[in-house]
Amino acid sequence: MSRPFPYAYISCPCADTPVPDPARKRRSKETSHKTNPEDPNVPVPEDYDFEDERTFDPRSPRSNFSLYPPEQLLYCEDCHQIKCPRCITEEIVCWFCPNCLFETPSSMVRSEGNRCARNCFNCPICTAPLAVTTLENVTGGGSQQGPWVLSCGYCMWTTLDIGVKFDKPTNIRTQLSKMTDSSRGRQMSKTFSDLKSPLSTYSSIDDQFPSPNEIRGDEASPINEQLSGPLNPEARFQALKGFYKSQIASTSSSPNDPLADFGAGFSSPGALNRIMSLYTSSSRLGSLYGGTSKKPKSKPPVMREALTASEGLRVPAPDAENALIRRMASDDCGWDGMASLEQRTFQSPDARFVEDLLPLPVLLRTKRSKRCKSCKHILVKPEFKPQSTRFRIRLIALSYIPLPTLKPLVPSPFAGLPSTTPTTAPNLDSLSPLRTVQFLLTLKNHMFDPVRVTLATPSVTPGRVASKVTILCPQFDIGANSDVWDEALQGSAAPGDARASRSGTLGSTEKVAEAGKVWDKGRNWTTVVLEVVPGSLPGGGGVTRRGRMKQHDDGSNDDDDNDDSDADSDANANALDWSGQTKDPNQRLQPDEDVLEIPVFVRMEWDSENQIDQEQSVGKGQNSDTVKRELAYWMVLGVGRISSEMGF
Amino acid sequence: MTSGSAAYNLDDRRTSVSMSLRHSQSGRPSTPQHHLRSNNSSFASTSSASSSLRGEEDAIVFEFGSRWLRAGFEGDSTPTCVVGCGPEDSRRVGDYRGWLKGSLNAGSEPVKAQEWTGAYELWQMDVRDVDLGLVEDKIERMFRETYNKYLLTDAGTARLALVLPSIMPHPLLSSVLSTLFSRWRFPSITLLPSATMAVAAAGLRSALVIDIGWAETTVTGIYEYREIATKRSTRAMKSLLQETGRFLTRLSSNTSGDADEISMNFEFCEEFVSRFLWCKPQEGDHGSSALPQLTDPQEGASEMAEENIVGLLHKTVSIPSPSNPSSNYMEIPFSKLAEPVEKVLFAKGLADCDLDDEEKPVALLAYNTLLQLPPDIRGICMSRMVFIGGGANIPGVRQRILAEVASLIDQHGWSPVRGKVIDQQRQKLQNLSLNERPTSANSDNDTTPPSPRTCIRKGDGEKRGTEEEEIDPVEEKLRRTRDKDTKLPVQGLLREVESLGPWAGASLVASLKIRSLVEIEREKFLQHGLAGASRDLDTHGYVPDRRSGLRSGGDRSSWTLAGWG
Repeated sequence: MSRPFPYAYISCPCADTPVPDPARKRRSKETSHKTNPEDPNVPVPEDYDFEDERTFDPRSPRSNFSLYPPEQLLYCEDCHQIKCPRCITEEIVCWFCPNCLFETPSSMVRSEGNRCARNCFNCPICTAPLAVTTLENVTGGGSQQGPWVLSCGYCMWTTLDIGVKFDKPTNIRTQLSKMTDSSRGRQMSKTFSDLKSPLSTYSSIDDQFPSPNEIRGDEASPINEQLSGPLNPEARFQALKGFYKSQIASTSSSPNDPLADFGAGFSSPGALNRIMSLYTSSSRLGSLYGGTSKKPKSKPPVMREALTASEGLRVPAPDAENALIRRMASDDCGWDGMASLEQRTFQSPDARFVEDLLPLPVLLRTKRSKRCKSCKHILVKPEFKPQSTRFRIRLIALSYIPLPTLKPLVPSPFAGLPSTTPTTAPNLDSLSPLRTVQFLLTLKNHMFDPVRVTLATPSVTPGRVASKVTILCPQFDIGANSDVWDEALQGSAAPGDARASRSGTLGSTEKVAEAGKVWDKGRNWTTVVLEVVPGSLPGGGGVTRRGRMKQHDDGSNDDDDNDDSDADSDANANALDWSGQTKDPNQRLQPDEDVLEIPVFVRMEWDSENQIDQEQSVGKGQNSDTVKRELAYWMVLGVGRISSEMGF
Repeated sequence: MTSGSAAYNLDDRRTSVSMSLRHSQSGRPSTPQHHLRSNNSSFASTSSASSSLRGEEDAIVFEFGSRWLRAGFEGDSTPTCVVGCGPEDSRRVGDYRGWLKGSLNAGSEPVKAQEWTGAYELWQMDVRDVDLGLVEDKIERMFRETYNKYLLTDAGTARLALVLPSIMPHPLLSSVLSTLFSRWRFPSITLLPSATMAVAAAGLRSALVIDIGWAETTVTGIYEYREIATKRSTRAMKSLLQETGRFLTRLSSNTSGDADEISMNFEFCEEFVSRFLWCKPQEGDHGSSALPQLTDPQEGASEMAEENIVGLLHKTVSIPSPSNPSSNYMEIPFSKLAEPVEKVLFAKGLADCDLDDEEKPVALLAYNTLLQLPPDIRGICMSRMVFIGGGANIPGVRQRILAEVASLIDQHGWSPVRGKVIDQQRQKLQNLSLNERPTSANSDNDTTPPSPRTCIRKGDGEKRGTEEEEIDPVEEKLRRTRDKDTKLPVQGLLREVESLGPWAGASLVASLKIRSLVEIEREKFLQHGLAGASRDLDTHGYVPDRRSGLRSGGDRSSWTLAGWG
């Protein structure tokens, strides 16, 4: 759709196998008619049992998830099936920073928050990469000793805007996290939280860096800080964690906790727990010790809630929200002073204003190897090194399935077509409705075996804009992808003719598209003609009677009266009516409804060399060496956009 | 885990199929993970070493909302990523139309408000119109991209914890679970209720959670991690966005025909809502007379601040012109920006009797939920109001809700009985009664006033408030044990406690290795689906409240959906 016309998408066959839901199976088994009222309004025909007879509808919202450009698909040699990103599993080979291309060891990835630990930062305003620059240089000194800042070359943002300077130009990430007390610093000191009094370490850390950058986070509400302590979300989280840990430790230490496992002491509601322990202690312990049931009473294993700020409680200051509002309305803030949603995505949840935004370390990327989900066969295996772009294994689908290309066949004035237009290529971005266009569909085989292809298409495209499609030669062979010299030798007979007809634009004067005949054929490609009559749009104002009559006269679409011809008598009024009916959303043209897309079912058969592990394949060929294979899938050809006006 | 990871040293290609069987039985199927720097193709021992060093792999916590998906690792305070859901995310692969310049302003044709927001939802709670297959597709893609882009870990290896609203339609829940289980090899999926998690992330055990979410606002009373009462209202962010859209549409074109149609760009509206919408403090219409110093110091402060806010009302701010956001700016009075919030969330200008049950304003909803709670729980909950959800980020909303609840308490006390006749009777009773049993109007003056006092429900709270000082031995004992921090559990006064949000709560709970009541194992789910969940909760050896969401011991062989069942 957004791709330039014409284009081709391929639907991965995995879309036909819905997610197996055991419950759904059971439900449908119970009462078959009960499943129907469940979703009657669903536009997709969801009769998955009759999958084979279902026409693929490129317009259904679900098809967006199964259609892929051919070059993005993989092919599993074991399953002999196309594999899309949905039917593979991925394993990470290495993590690297896309900015500095340094690899991050797997043990460090988590602790560094999946982000580059070096000097790679993105601008929080515009996401451009930030550069480390020295302030001295800016002011003219060449000493290189001065404080360092990160600056954006695109929007001129620097860390000076948030009052951050760095002492040295290396290890910016650690410096920054120290200054801002952000999550990374916390992660580093995570081990301390397991010590006995984690809170003390946190408060001390908080006190250690009262840098000018304390402004961030809670800075939006300075009163907040006074009242509820200087804990930012991360610190608060750790405080809460420490608090819960200590509570768990203290409440589950009671020896006569009958709910044996460790989790019971805290995961059960305190009150209930106590009651249970009373019961059991009176029954079990009571018999043993003779009424020492006071013991559990003396030490009630009740978890309490956090009470102080150091335990993670935070009662917001009453004026915090007003301070926010005031700051929003102040003159120096304005629309551009507020951080946008996109800017806030990876920032601290408190960050509301542009001044609160911190430079973001670059998110790491991964190289992943891919396996077939069903047979675990490796489909893609890249080189391990981040710098290398090579692959060890890469089974892309295009080396197995024919590459479809589509281009318009320019009708020649003497070709007997009833059109009187000059021989220019039709504008695919505005195809005039109800007017035949011919396309050349070329399938190019990349396999070393010749392939027999059968194409099928619904004669009328699904959807309200019903375009008529005819494949003039639906069954043909494509040659093997053999030596290039073969073609050169064969084609020496009439090279000019072949080239001209292949391009389809030059003087293909003598050629006329004929039903049942292949248009052209080469070494490993075959071209057939596709005849398309774009349907008329429902809101099309230009469907005048004159145009329609002329169309009928032309005879190019003599059976064009499925639902348009009754509107024929008063086409003008009808068109007006349609445009006036905008209140009914169903009558209006949906977005992209004017895009003419043709679902084509491709079925290919070929004899391939037998491999040892493939004895149980589809069927044996003539000799035992070859095996007959077939592959079938839906393909969607995006032809063009139908214009609302009749063009003549 | 160690046995599982040791097995990965074997050559994977040959053994994977047979191993997958074993894995699934051991309950932790995982695929070999990282073989970095190992140039030999066998799966490196370094990877298993590192993973076994970490012990059990950190669980991954996902929080599902109708608009946003938050994902990250347990033990982190904030999610690694927050992924939205919009039409751009359901485009075909290779369709980069969203990146084309100029397409941003494309949404200029008026659209019905429902469709306008509908494209941006992952699902609706009304499953009648939901194409579950489409939801599954979306979830699959969101998960895959989240793993590949942000989490940067192999999907399916670690445990998975899902934070879900405590009420989910079963078809949706089933879709989510079956998609995740069939697409990846998650050993088990843990479900955690979002409201309870928000409470945990506030450091509390009981709270009134006010979740101003996308489709609906839920107010949940939680006591000792159990959901006691829940009320819902459709006054939430979705209708706020729709209202804002209409508001901006009206601003941009004066000729708007249909009132329900929005011709704004959704992203712009959302941006607008998140940046600039605010909420006025409660107006002093009935407030200034009846509540000079309503509940607690908060009110006093906000009263003072109100003066400042009033000054702001006459300010103008410039916003990008709705008709052409990329180039022009237009001036708009700041007070206008508070209107959509007041209209949508607080039903300004609508009488209570005009409102349906499902569209109560948020403050009334909170009050009604409190009213529904038993008095002692109410006392605990009202001083632990936790705000979560997108709407809670709008500046001013929280204090407005608090103030309105306070004034509702002030007006009605804790009596659900309203009406003229009642008032008359109350008046008569008051005249009759010789001992002072003050009506609510003139009593709420000091710091612990909103304890329930009406003629119908005799002030439990008040009684408790006075008696517990002297008698309650447990209190005494508790006080002695915790002599260091002298704070008592606050109760009876309206107070807000800030939570880190449900996601952080789930991360906290998961990192403490607390097991959820609902832990769905792969094999069991794949056998029977949701129908396999045992409903008979009494068969568990020890039954915690079914809604607590946290489990303690009990029978492991059968599984349950607890509150979701």
